[in-house]
Amino acid sequence: MKNLLSILALAVVLVGCSGGDSAKSEAPKESGSKQITVAMLPKKKGVPYFTSCSEGAMEAAKELGNVELIYDGPTSGDAADAVKLIDQWTAQGVDVIAVSPNDPAVLGPAMKRARDAGIKVLTWDADADAANREFLVNQATPEEIGNSLVDAMAKDLGGESATGDVAIVTASLTAANQNEWIKFMKVRLAKYPGLKLVATKPSNEDQKLAFSVTQDLMKVYPGLKGVFAISSVAFPGAAEAIKQAGKSGKVLVTGLSTPNDMKTYVKEDVVKSVILWNTKDLGYLTIFAARALADGKLKAGDTTLAAGRLGEKKVVGDNVMLGGTITFDKANIDEFDF
Amino acid sequence: MKNFRWSRELTLVVLLLCLFGAASILEPKFVTMRAQTLLATHLWELALVAIPMLLIVITAGIDLSVGSIVALSAVSFGLMFERNVPPVVAAGLTVLVGTVLGSLNGWFVTKMKVHPLLVTLATLAAFRGMAEGISTARAISGYPDWLLNALQGPTPIVLFALVAVATHLVMTQTYFGRWVVAIGTEENVSRFSRIPVDRVKQWLYGFSGLVCGIAAVLLVARNNTAKADMATGLELEAITAVVLGGASIHGGKGRVTGLVLGLLLIHETREFVSWHWKQNELNLIVIGSLLILTVLLENIAERRKDRKPKVAITATENP
Repeated sequence: MKNLLSILALAVVLVGCSGGDSAKSEAPKESGSKQITVAMLPKKKGVPYFTSCSEGAMEAAKELGNVELIYDGPTSGDAADAVKLIDQWTAQGVDVIAVSPNDPAVLGPAMKRARDAGIKVLTWDADADAANREFLVNQATPEEIGNSLVDAMAKDLGGESATGDVAIVTASLTAANQNEWIKFMKVRLAKYPGLKLVATKPSNEDQKLAFSVTQDLMKVYPGLKGVFAISSVAFPGAAEAIKQAGKSGKVLVTGLSTPNDMKTYVKEDVVKSVILWNTKDLGYLTIFAARALADGKLKAGDTTLAAGRLGEKKVVGDNVMLGGTITFDKANIDEFDF
Repeated sequence: MKNFRWSRELTLVVLLLCLFGAASILEPKFVTMRAQTLLATHLWELALVAIPMLLIVITAGIDLSVGSIVALSAVSFGLMFERNVPPVVAAGLTVLVGTVLGSLNGWFVTKMKVHPLLVTLATLAAFRGMAEGISTARAISGYPDWLLNALQGPTPIVLFALVAVATHLVMTQTYFGRWVVAIGTEENVSRFSRIPVDRVKQWLYGFSGLVCGIAAVLLVARNNTAKADMATGLELEAITAVVLGGASIHGGKGRVTGLVLGLLLIHETREFVSWHWKQNELNLIVIGSLLILTVLLENIAERRKDRKPKVAITATENP
């Protein structure tokens, strides 16, 4: 009997402890309109790219004052874990769920369950089936990305009159995002008649493969002047291949990545330009879109959205456009830490 | 109080009550039917797989390959579906694939006399590799809605209940159940007592594979996708539930009732922690602490009992 009593006592203590804890953590912030809870799901938690997005989101939540932000995601990048979180938020009855789906097919049913429960669902960073969300917060159009990549390469190779062979190392030949970018890159390359696209090779999201593919490209095309490594995995692989071949500065490589991942290559002059959209602004805009959606201020047919320090942002169809890319180079890369 | 026996089940019930008590104060929404049903959807594959794991652990064995069997079965289902095999036939064949894989483990354990830890450690890697190989690590999606709906909602719960009740009856009412316990208690004595040790083990590993096959079909339906990296780490979750449920990793001890409560406690704790603190990585720490806490609580309870002289009774008769 004593045992039972001691366990009951323990239970009371446990309940007491956690009760006190929650009183501290839940300080209600009321300012004007209704307090809402926004749950934001990255593809994978703890990745610098998504962490910097979350910083922007936190900034927006703080600025708005009436948004409680939950930022959580699978640490393994497992889509099934993401589904668990979405279901949990649905059960909690949050107001808006903003999802960056790492696998739209797996997350689709959970997003639908959330919408059926009356929760507003957004996608950001990457899209899912349009039936399962109301808006996509779109970081940059494929056209902007394609143009930025080609323009940066041309600039680094000497501007309008740049000449030489260039090649693309892509993610996989079926990757939808990359194929869209490649389409617009080819259009943009026409602006620079001296640049000749000689090959497009897959790296299947494998850094080692990107490394060997780039080595092969340098052997096969002696006139190779530039490589577009257009996945975050292919980029460092290609850069490493060029560095080890001792061709830093002779063969340039550019692509999309976060500044921290490429900082060393930029400082060693292997890479002159790293292209990316502003990740903090992407998180920031997502929260403003979520708030507007919850208030009914963002609805089908709208063409603009007021987004705090970003000003008026364009809404095209069901896409809220962040727009614009930034180029990191030796001069500015130290200002960014993500 | 003289006949009062402290059992693992009681410890788990107390812990569960504490958890729900805390939850109803901190997060009233957590203790609603609606929330609980929604949260429970992710439990059933683990729950199913944990049952044969319990039996294997009782024989002093272990099956580390369950996650990989689920993945390989799931991928087989996806590939069959892609080749227009009718879903019902594909589901049946998937369960068969699981059974064959599980039986393969059993064959190595009983015929080759390799320790189950080694066998299933090898197949853990091999089956996962095969799943990645035959699917080229693609995700296979696009199943018809009727199939997804048929395999969700009450279906997994009914399946689990059937398997759990049947196993409980087999373990408590039949010779087979007694053999399982006897093998785990004293394998050599069991052999001398003419218990068909190898056949029992072969059956159990096959049963584990069969249940993994069922879990695979359910998992594919729930995620609308078959992918080679599914159910990674499932084996550890299952073993945790089994041990938390009171089974001894040295064999000879364990009950289905304990396992069910253990599963429930793991599930509720995990969901509550992630719900309240909104950081799902805390889960791992909490599950680990839970395991230690349960064992500690029981040790405190046991210590009092141990002061009295105890007579060890072994229920084996030599021929």
